[in-house]
Amino acid sequence: MSENFKPVTLNFGPQHPAAHGVLRLLVQLDGEVVSKAEPHIGLLHRGTEKLIEHKTYTQAIPYFDRLDYVSPMCQEHAFALSVENLLDIKAPVRAQYIRVMFAEVTRILNHLLNIPAFAMDIGAATPMLWAFEEREKMLEFHEAVSGARFHAAYFRPGGVHQDLPDDLCEKMKVYFEKFPDFIDTLEELLTENRIFKQRSVDIGILSKSDAIELSCSGPVLRASGVAWDLRKSQPYDVYSDIDFDIPVGKTGDTYDRYLVRMEEMRESVKIILQCIEKIPSGPVMIEDNKITPPRRAEMKDSMEAIIHHFKLFTEGYRVPKGISYVPVEAPKGEFGAVLISDGSSKPYRCKLRAPGFAHLQALHFLSKGHQLADLPSILGSLDIVFGEVDR
Amino acid sequence: MIPDLLKKYAVGKFYFPIKSNADGILVSSNSILEVVQKLKEDDELLFDQLIDITVNDNLQSEAISINDRFTLVYTFLSLIKNKRLFIFTNVSEEDPNIESITKIFESANWYERECYDLFGINFKNHPSLQRIMNDYNFKGHPLRKDFPLTGYEEVRYDDNLKKVVYEPVDLKQEFRDFDNESPWEGMRDIISEELKK
Repeated sequence: MSENFKPVTLNFGPQHPAAHGVLRLLVQLDGEVVSKAEPHIGLLHRGTEKLIEHKTYTQAIPYFDRLDYVSPMCQEHAFALSVENLLDIKAPVRAQYIRVMFAEVTRILNHLLNIPAFAMDIGAATPMLWAFEEREKMLEFHEAVSGARFHAAYFRPGGVHQDLPDDLCEKMKVYFEKFPDFIDTLEELLTENRIFKQRSVDIGILSKSDAIELSCSGPVLRASGVAWDLRKSQPYDVYSDIDFDIPVGKTGDTYDRYLVRMEEMRESVKIILQCIEKIPSGPVMIEDNKITPPRRAEMKDSMEAIIHHFKLFTEGYRVPKGISYVPVEAPKGEFGAVLISDGSSKPYRCKLRAPGFAHLQALHFLSKGHQLADLPSILGSLDIVFGEVDR
Repeated sequence: MIPDLLKKYAVGKFYFPIKSNADGILVSSNSILEVVQKLKEDDELLFDQLIDITVNDNLQSEAISINDRFTLVYTFLSLIKNKRLFIFTNVSEEDPNIESITKIFESANWYERECYDLFGINFKNHPSLQRIMNDYNFKGHPLRKDFPLTGYEEVRYDDNLKKVVYEPVDLKQEFRDFDNESPWEGMRDIISEELKK
């Protein structure tokens, strides 16, 4: 740029449809080229970590739904696994299958919001409408098991809250066998679309080493060509018994991130169908009333059950002293809770490791030298949700 | 298994035992740069990704002594060796200073800012140590154990003044923080015995 031009600082957000929530971005422009993008976060900071320190382990579960509110169940999964690890217990096999199944439903839900939102940022409005229709159908499965569309509080330490309704597996089977057709139509709209490609190919390239250096995880890391997925490399629950592939990108641009997410949805469908096939019968929660509450029917005629129920919902269960970190492959990347227990019934410290936090940090690196119009494309491809970034 | 290369830096153990699939060592806060450098560059260790930096305030735990009010917890991941590692280091309340590791891991930037904002840990040689989660003019460090859950200030929009005003917190009802914990240790013992079966 010539010396006569002064850099312009642009305030992007916090109220902007392409900001994906409440992101305030200070963009320094050199003509139309971004020379610095400085995210200011924290507008949605609710002090979740502090609140969890004042709640029992049971009361802490709903906070996890409200972190990344687009993929609620995957985060409960991380918390449930971490607490189970401290308690040294394992959920029954049926519960593990249910968890894996719904973690994958949640993954599809998440990608079905992210992909069309990303497409909308760069000019395509139709995918949003189409995807939302499918999301609504899938949220009915969420509702069928937990009673809530989003804030499910369904995965609990020790298993899941309720067993599946009788006909749910069949309904899901019918739905998910047809679902790849929807992915095909969505791909028809986007994958070879000229405008879509012009706005996303070779934008925001992240090399392998940079992606690792910048603490990226999940689809962002995989799009850069790193074959790393916690479901494969550090499997939890029954992922080790299930056959699925990990899509990996080549160039690490925004288009690759889109492709990886598309492919991941197909893999998720495979996992869900396998779970439906393989799911055994049995209990869905460990039957130890010192940790999990007794069944309602039991409480009608057992004094002991009433005492257990009362103790569990006032004092809660005590968790042995220790520090535990069991991350899960959330749709956005590695999500986990660094849980420190001092032996009481409340977590002493619960640090939430959100993938979006690291990804947003990489925004400056990714957008430097790009046109201002590419910024929404990069931001959209990172899949930022402020519930988890700001906590 | 703690790699031999790191053993010489170990100065003790973290008060809370590690219950997950990771190793961990407690190092002195002076050697943090050296240790992290080794982790990243040594061919045997190869911890190439920084996952997280967080702090534990030991104030209410039995672990507290004057020199270790805060324990920093660094979480590393080796994508090559598929291993995780915790590095713990203590800093005191009077002198909460530690060397920043942003020179080695670029992504430490925001994690350190977060620790500064929420705990008041001062990272030396950090490129821009500003608040990240809280308001620009926020006072105090909210995740410290002596910071009240309800905070000190509340914010509202004043329609007369046509601006956002900050006021001291005024609770219409006394803050209720129930301690339901049984004074007997019964529950804990029963859990551990049940689990042993």
